[in-house]
Amino acid sequence: MADLQDDLRPATEVGRADEPYPEEAVIVGPEAYEPVSDPDDTPLTRARAVLAAHPVADGCSGLPWVLRRLPWYDLELGESAVEADVPRLRGGQVGAVFWSLRLPEGYEGDRAVGTTLEQLDLAKAVVAAHDQGLRPARSAGEVADARNCGRVAVLFGPAGAAALGDSLSVLRSLHTLGVRVLTLTGTSWAGAAGLTRFGDEVVREMNRVGMLADLSHASAPTIQRVLTISKAPVLFTRSAAHALRPHPANLPDELLTEVGEAKGLCMVPLTAEQTGPAVRDVADHLDHVRDVAGAECVGLSGTFDTGSAHPQELSDTSCYPRLVAELLRRGWEEADVALLTWGNVQRVLRGADFAAHTAQQRRPPSTATIAALDG
Amino acid sequence: MTTLDDARALLAEFPVVDGHNDLPWALREQVRYDLGARDIAGDQSAHLHTDIPRLRAGGVGAQFWSVYVRADLPDPVPATLEQIDCVRQLLARHPEDLAPALTAADMERARAQGRIASLMGAEGGHSIADSLGTLRGLYDLGVRYLTLTHNFNVAWADSATDEPAVGGLSAFGREVVREMNRLGMLVDLSHVAATTMRDALDATSAPVIFSHSSARAVCDHPRNIPDDVLERLPANGGVAMVTFVPKFVLQAAVDWTAAADENMRAHGFHHLDTTAEAMKVHRAFEETHPRPVATVATVADHLDHMREVAGVDHLGIGGDYDGTAFTPDGLGDVSGYPNLIAELLDRGWSRTDLAKVTWRNAVRVLGAAEDVARDLRATRAPSNATLESLDG
Repeated sequence: MADLQDDLRPATEVGRADEPYPEEAVIVGPEAYEPVSDPDDTPLTRARAVLAAHPVADGCSGLPWVLRRLPWYDLELGESAVEADVPRLRGGQVGAVFWSLRLPEGYEGDRAVGTTLEQLDLAKAVVAAHDQGLRPARSAGEVADARNCGRVAVLFGPAGAAALGDSLSVLRSLHTLGVRVLTLTGTSWAGAAGLTRFGDEVVREMNRVGMLADLSHASAPTIQRVLTISKAPVLFTRSAAHALRPHPANLPDELLTEVGEAKGLCMVPLTAEQTGPAVRDVADHLDHVRDVAGAECVGLSGTFDTGSAHPQELSDTSCYPRLVAELLRRGWEEADVALLTWGNVQRVLRGADFAAHTAQQRRPPSTATIAALDG
Repeated sequence: MTTLDDARALLAEFPVVDGHNDLPWALREQVRYDLGARDIAGDQSAHLHTDIPRLRAGGVGAQFWSVYVRADLPDPVPATLEQIDCVRQLLARHPEDLAPALTAADMERARAQGRIASLMGAEGGHSIADSLGTLRGLYDLGVRYLTLTHNFNVAWADSATDEPAVGGLSAFGREVVREMNRLGMLVDLSHVAATTMRDALDATSAPVIFSHSSARAVCDHPRNIPDDVLERLPANGGVAMVTFVPKFVLQAAVDWTAAADENMRAHGFHHLDTTAEAMKVHRAFEETHPRPVATVATVADHLDHMREVAGVDHLGIGGDYDGTAFTPDGLGDVSGYPNLIAELLDRGWSRTDLAKVTWRNAVRVLGAAEDVARDLRATRAPSNATLESLDG
């Protein structure tokens, strides 16, 4: 399991070989968090120290779609046409990023599947062309590997549910190609009324192969159903707190509570529209989500290069230290910041791997079709 | 020892690389990929040409599984991904018999292990929906050849069995060939028009294949390869894999099919119509006009001619099993290859030559395509050309 671990640590010694077994089982609790910053430093200095140990895992970047129509770019040396080139990813202390493969509205069938394949092909080519800065990753272990090599891990997804072409075989093929997150909206089986029977089967097959469900912009019935049946943790790649800002993609407190109970992950976007115009607004959302869902269930989503307007002072991917400094100023424990930036995403990715290993013992690949289940 | 024993002994050492088998499509049509309902670990002769015991009996050592989908499906790309998934499930279910293979080295390793190397080929340019990104997606999923067209033209290439439109390959079609060269995906020229064959041979820098085509000089059917194209194979290094489909290899069957098609049209049906009423008309015709039967010798005649024209280094075998309703006598399913080898031994083909036909040529071609790709990738970036940008 070493490859699934974030950091390699020596095994805790519980007794020497020549000693008899202890009468009671020794339970080794989670290791206490060791602070990495000096509490007397300025918040920004502390933020940089924390991020050096626990970099940002960013839940959503729209880079592939932007690069699709952008001739002559170079992310390695700095590219003013985008919000997330390699120098600014490094400056913002980003360690991993999800590249959205989402499709414009109305794509379906051949067009949706074909366009997703093209997006994925482009994303892989871009990563390969910037191998000094970026490295593709498909699991928690590969994310950790990329980080150990000093590269920003790029995870492919979320892709749109339309990319499945209503077929579980296509789901498996996309997983084989490296897609790891799928947004469950905008199809006949995951719409306003929730999941159909085929939708249920899609979620079970996603669990089996190790594809995470993204529920941002999904309908409330869909969210509740997926929280009930999914064996793996779920993601919200761009959702903030509805109580603070009533945007349709933001989560009301009841749902945030449920997400907390299900140990999902609500990744708060840095968009003026969903969170507000200033750094403190984003921090307010992070505070709120942490208070309602728990520190293990809150994450960050840059939403850079998605066309969204960003809060002041958070205009590109180099700005994360400012946001973390604000949180430290508000008295966030370093341990909670470490979970927010890095630990929670690693936990969710590992959760998907474990759920897949378990499900594969139990279930063969599903041969269900939408015609058979939804008639 | 009989000649058949000799043939089997030869195949034990140099098994058959078959260029085209439509088992995935048959599984899709018959049981919608319910692989348990057609378990190929056991005898499936009631339903299929192909199962593992018969592949073993036939001396098959490598199979290009076709991930063909019909060109008239509304969504060919997702359907192709479903076909690829089907092959992957087959490989996962039968790891002791089927070895996943992506390269010539994988094929040799499978032969050494006594497993059947399993490769994938896509049949028809419609499977990439005019997109080089999608082409690369198929390559990443393991597809190692693309037949440029199926029975109908695509926007950038003419089919052998459709009206000429482009006159061979368009500019985008040539770019598809170049990108396949860069990837190391074999260019398959079965099903394409002779003009497309010539254009592709001009455009390619890697050896091509004909995954299932025979000789037009022996039997005049557009699906077969004209001599002038066969003559170019030595320079190109490619391989023509002879197919068994009676209506392509036997002149009497070609003529019979033409008459049957004419009869269908006379009754107001399209000649490829498979609806119940159309099939009834077709069966009535068949009762009064017995279907001519091809034999092992018919196929051997093609190989004799192709050896004369292209040379023994450029021949292979592509049975098209489970992709054709009728088969020659003695080649009724995938267990039949030893009969063909025995026939060729009887005709005086040497063991060395037959080892090339069964195994060595096809493996060499895949390896050569990999070498070309290695060189091209060093100097050429992935192509982002589109149909619109090149063909307007």
